[in-house]
Amino acid sequence: MNLNNDEYAKRIAVLERKVAREKKARNLAENQLEKYSLEIYETNQSLQKSLAFSKRKQAELAYLGQASIEVASEQSLNELMAQTVSLTGKFADAACGFYLVTDRSEFVDKENVQVWQGDNSWRSDIDFVMQTSQVLPLNQKEPFESWLVSPVDDVTFECKNDYKWITYTNFSLLNNRVAWIVFFSSAEYIDEETLYVLETSRTHLLSGIRKRLTDVKILKRTVQLQDTVSSLEQAKRQLVQSEKMASLGQLAAGVAHEINNPIAFIHSNMQVLQDYLNDYKELDTQIRKYLATDQIFDQAAYDSLCESIEFSYIQEDSELLLNTNLEGLDRVKEIVENLKSFSHAGDQKFSEISLYECVEAALKIAWNSLKYDHQVENNLDVADSIVLGNLGQLQQVFVNLFINSAHAMEGGGQLSISQTLLPDSIIVHVTDCGSGMDQDTVNKLFTPFFTTKPVGVGTGLGLSISYAILEAHSATIEVDSILGKGTTFNITFPLI
Amino acid sequence: MKGIVFVKFNEFVEELWGEEFWDELLDEAELTSEGAYTTVGSYDDQELFSLITLIVEKKSISSKDAQFAFGKWVFKELYNAAPPGVHDFKDVFEFLHAVQDFIHIEVKKLNPDALLPEFEFLSESATQLSFHYQSPRKLCYFCEGLVRGLAEHTEQKVIVTQSECEHEGDKRCVLEVEKI
Repeated sequence: MNLNNDEYAKRIAVLERKVAREKKARNLAENQLEKYSLEIYETNQSLQKSLAFSKRKQAELAYLGQASIEVASEQSLNELMAQTVSLTGKFADAACGFYLVTDRSEFVDKENVQVWQGDNSWRSDIDFVMQTSQVLPLNQKEPFESWLVSPVDDVTFECKNDYKWITYTNFSLLNNRVAWIVFFSSAEYIDEETLYVLETSRTHLLSGIRKRLTDVKILKRTVQLQDTVSSLEQAKRQLVQSEKMASLGQLAAGVAHEINNPIAFIHSNMQVLQDYLNDYKELDTQIRKYLATDQIFDQAAYDSLCESIEFSYIQEDSELLLNTNLEGLDRVKEIVENLKSFSHAGDQKFSEISLYECVEAALKIAWNSLKYDHQVENNLDVADSIVLGNLGQLQQVFVNLFINSAHAMEGGGQLSISQTLLPDSIIVHVTDCGSGMDQDTVNKLFTPFFTTKPVGVGTGLGLSISYAILEAHSATIEVDSILGKGTTFNITFPLI
Repeated sequence: MKGIVFVKFNEFVEELWGEEFWDELLDEAELTSEGAYTTVGSYDDQELFSLITLIVEKKSISSKDAQFAFGKWVFKELYNAAPPGVHDFKDVFEFLHAVQDFIHIEVKKLNPDALLPEFEFLSESATQLSFHYQSPRKLCYFCEGLVRGLAEHTEQKVIVTQSECEHEGDKRCVLEVEKI
């Protein structure tokens, strides 16, 4: 390139300016880079801070979460306290810690107090616990409302360890007892943030303790209730039995009559039979006389003897009397058997029974109340009325209903027992054409001690007990009654 | 505007008209930055427009041609400086979509304060693509040049025109790219 001096000078000037610009640009770029570096450094610092903060928060959340799980768990109060000590000790980076229970400033079960260690193990160290717990304000009656922290320097106990801080709180339990949680820390200072978190978990723990104490109360009450229920059951059984006996007492006159009748005729029959036996003996004596005196004892003589004592009638009548007596005795036997099954306290065992037979047995007991003025129809089916039940109890129910019906039909009438068979149940209808009841009476029908009968006639317990018995049989009872027309009791039994 | 545009513009002018011309431009333009551009800095948009105006005066070319030429030239420069992943596109249309969907997002990550144009695609066929170029800088001619530079890179022949242009009195700029 051929350039003259001016051109050279110009070229140099251009290049010099370019170099100056480049230099300036470079400085700018370097400054910018320094700025960037600083920004990166600062960003890094703040990121590290954020990370540490996040980690801290994460640990706090993990601690609070775990503490909540422990509080919400089913574990006992003791287990919860132990879990809380180890969990909190670990979170707060404590050197050791323990919990204990005091009763009016005296230790409860101090031999079993365990000391939690930083390595998450537990050891027995009564000396340590006794020594360190001296600094706790055990006489304080009101529980604290937060954690308390005090430096160990102020504490007048000899401790081999270089513990610097003691952190503690307490909770009131039942019966003036107080639970204490105590931690020792070797750290130079206690982090305020940690205390906030401990405070939160303390509130949690408090609610957990309250819940468990309430549970204990509820448990006690439940046991009491169960006791009450079983003594009520016992009382109910006794009541059922005594009502049965009471109605039996009322029935006694009728039943006695029922037994007395056959006994009376059996007795008179026996007297007649005794006479007949004497006649037999007389016949025997006469025959022997004949044979002793060598008189001719022929057919005519025998017939004459028989004639004299009406022997053929005696024979005929004896047979009749014996049969009547046997029948009478059978009746007595039956009545007594039914009474036995009725009055028997029995167990609560259920077996397959026929409602027909049950009704028949009940009718026999109530027979005296019905036989004079009433017609009775038992239309139950022998085979189709099989249910699972207690014969004696159901008999009691039916006796009750029949006696009531008899009372309702004072001037006589018809009592009919019929059934309706459904796919899975059977309804027994006990219908009378008696006086009927108004709605008010029907409403009170199954109320204990409610009776329309005169004083001394009814206990007022019959139907209420019947109701209880039927309930135990999963049976239901309903009443249809029209005043002046009659009443029908509908009892529905589940079929087997 | 990012420093890289100024640095590349400097290179473009020096390559085309020499260092003396660039020196002359700076001397007359009296810019705040005094032309000491670095890629790590950001500079006033107006500096670029002042420089272009001076070139238009001195070289008697239109502003449109100046912008177009710079756009076409600078494409390969920017392409080489682009982050990895950009270099997989082999088609003009595909690349233009990628600018909107991918490249500008990457740019934003590195330069959160960067002001980038928006492409709104209006219609597309196998051979024709039309999109709405939106930028407060109104550098639609520069954009046309960039598309041409792109086509050179992908070794495709395209015609780039504007069916609507704000500089022609329209309400918006619509670029039409046709493969031939």
